[in-house]
Amino acid sequence: MSLRRLWAVAVKEINHIMRDPITLGLVILAPTVVLFVMAFAVTVNIQHVPIAVLDYDRSPTSRAFIQRMTAGDDLDLYAQVEAFEEIDALLLRGKIKAAIVVNPRFAEELLAMRSMPLLVIIDGTEPQSGAHALDHIAWRTEEFISQVLGQELEALGMPRGSLQTLDLRVRTWFNPGLKSKNDVIPGLISLVLGFPALSVALTLAREREHGTLEQLIATPVGRAELILGKMLPYIMVGLVNVILIPAIAIATFHIPFQGNYILFFLLSAIFLFAILSMGTIIGVFIHTQPAALALSFLVIFFPAFFLTGIFFPIAAMPEVMRMESLALPGTHFAIITRGIFLPGVGLEVLWPYAVMLFGLGVGFSAVAALFFHKKLA
Amino acid sequence: MIRRIWALAVKEFYHLRYDWWLPAFMLFGGVLELILVGWATSRPMTNLPLMILDDDRSAASRQVITMLENTGTFSLEALVPDEEPIREAMERGEIYAAVIIPPDFSEKMASTNQIPNLAVLLNGAESIPATAALRAVEGLAREMGQEIAVERLGIDAEEFAGFEFSVRTWFNESLSEAYYTTPAELALMLEFTVLLFAALSFSRERELGTLEQLLVMPLTSLEIIIGKSIPVVMIGFIDFSLMLTMVHFVFGVPIRGSLPLLLLLAFGYLLVELAKGMAISVFSRSQHQAFLLVMILGFVDFMFTGYAAPVESMPKFLQGVAQFIPAQHWLAILRGIMLKGADLQVLWPNLLALLLLGLAIGTFSLRYVRRALS
Repeated sequence: MSLRRLWAVAVKEINHIMRDPITLGLVILAPTVVLFVMAFAVTVNIQHVPIAVLDYDRSPTSRAFIQRMTAGDDLDLYAQVEAFEEIDALLLRGKIKAAIVVNPRFAEELLAMRSMPLLVIIDGTEPQSGAHALDHIAWRTEEFISQVLGQELEALGMPRGSLQTLDLRVRTWFNPGLKSKNDVIPGLISLVLGFPALSVALTLAREREHGTLEQLIATPVGRAELILGKMLPYIMVGLVNVILIPAIAIATFHIPFQGNYILFFLLSAIFLFAILSMGTIIGVFIHTQPAALALSFLVIFFPAFFLTGIFFPIAAMPEVMRMESLALPGTHFAIITRGIFLPGVGLEVLWPYAVMLFGLGVGFSAVAALFFHKKLA
Repeated sequence: MIRRIWALAVKEFYHLRYDWWLPAFMLFGGVLELILVGWATSRPMTNLPLMILDDDRSAASRQVITMLENTGTFSLEALVPDEEPIREAMERGEIYAAVIIPPDFSEKMASTNQIPNLAVLLNGAESIPATAALRAVEGLAREMGQEIAVERLGIDAEEFAGFEFSVRTWFNESLSEAYYTTPAELALMLEFTVLLFAALSFSRERELGTLEQLLVMPLTSLEIIIGKSIPVVMIGFIDFSLMLTMVHFVFGVPIRGSLPLLLLLAFGYLLVELAKGMAISVFSRSQHQAFLLVMILGFVDFMFTGYAAPVESMPKFLQGVAQFIPAQHWLAILRGIMLKGADLQVLWPNLLALLLLGLAIGTFSLRYVRRALS
């Protein structure tokens, strides 16, 4: 392998990219926009969930209860209804996401410490709002009960503000407040850096479509040089995103960055090498761009979303999927990005993942180079 | 005219036979992905590895450990002697949570006025499974806490029905996760496949240099557009039917409303996305560009569908923007018909919005594409 020839291929590819500034702009923009959109979705605080209330009790206690439920930004009282059928109609039209029905004898039962005569109805079609309403109602209810029964509780040495007689102390490491954005957004970086891999697959397929690959083959450039030379410019483009995306994550979404930036940059380059090698395999086997697109979705994007542990924990997967996830560069890189962003760990912890990434990259590009030869014959 | 359109459509199908990957992807890739996505998103989290640090080593603490194992959420990774192994495992991302039982736990449990405590350590770098773990431990703590409270308050356990209120989940009584996720994923899959397929139609011909040939043929621009659209619409619609069948039979999601109405509206929605895709396809100079534009626009739509985050929680301005996103109305219609059994009386506002948006997008797209072709 000659570095000079590799560089020649890379320069040709760079010229090609530079000639088409719109595509170059989109190649850089696409990962950024996708990251921004998904990050925004993660950071939306669920609040202002519209609910309806049906109060059969009409006692001062029940009124105080309803007042407490709808105080604050979490739940918005859409309507105070008179009959059950109205709740039905509102849920059907999607006007409300939950409803609270206060049963008759609410105050009486509660004050006698017999039961909690309350029914909560949630819309089972939209999980997030419904679950949020339920959590909020449960929490406020507990608060309400302990306030109503405050004196009895205090006499027993229980804290007035809570009915909990078992104190659960929560300590969250690396991410105070357990904000999902703080680890999901660094994880998403491994997803959106799949875009340059797709570009490589497309350019290789494109050369075949246009019949220019034969010209390249006729030159004294070797297959490894060709594969790596094709990858190099897109690794560079990917590195622009590696600079841009953490900047957005930190500036716009206030994600803490505890680790070493240089290390992050270097490991990102290794990741790009690994994921782009996957892209070249696709480009080697597939001869048209639509097909390369389709396969990239199946092989690069969907697994990156579902099998790399960004949203779905790897430890909870069945054995077969866990093995598959180990073969994906994104799995190792997601651990690296979160490790560098949050606990701020260095190579002493991350080296096995870096080694895995490099190994996968070498393996994938070797496969690409090998089959590239056969495809020519 | 119909004969000429037909001739063009037949030519398109010939291409598809040569380029069989794309329709194959649209038909089976969509279904396959939906199985994968549905399978991954429709299960509760189980088997989360948990480390326990038991400083009490009593009958009471062992009972806590058994109860934790019985929640079904955890698999016990290790009983550790101190916090060090917990920290190391969390830094490596191997565990998401750990529970510490303090030395005085059994003592406080047995007393009449002291509050026993448990500590839970969460891995903040894996917030999603950590939150699931926290929920499970909280549920356990509430259960134990209430038992203690009932005992200490001297409430007659026979008469006491508990302070838990009753919950009913409408439209999804069995609390199936598949009900939440798969209809939304079906809706989005239809959008992305149609958009992508349509966006490649002209950009591909242009890149390969065959667009000129098409233009010199004795076809009007309208005929070209219709001829190009037929394969997209047909394959998109078959794809939707296949995915719907699968969502219904594999994931057990009901179709409570009218099936013909659902198919009709799916067809209408497909035309709206087709119009968008066609506009992208004449705007793009290459397939690469077309694809990237589809991704950018598709993901912006995705943000506003209410699947990733509820629209009513967004800032007012974005809630307004969401009203102009066809996919958002389509998802409301799809969920309405499938899960709620809604009919036109209920769905007309979404339908009207979709219709108006469709007309606006369709008119713009048609004029834009015709101008670009001539």
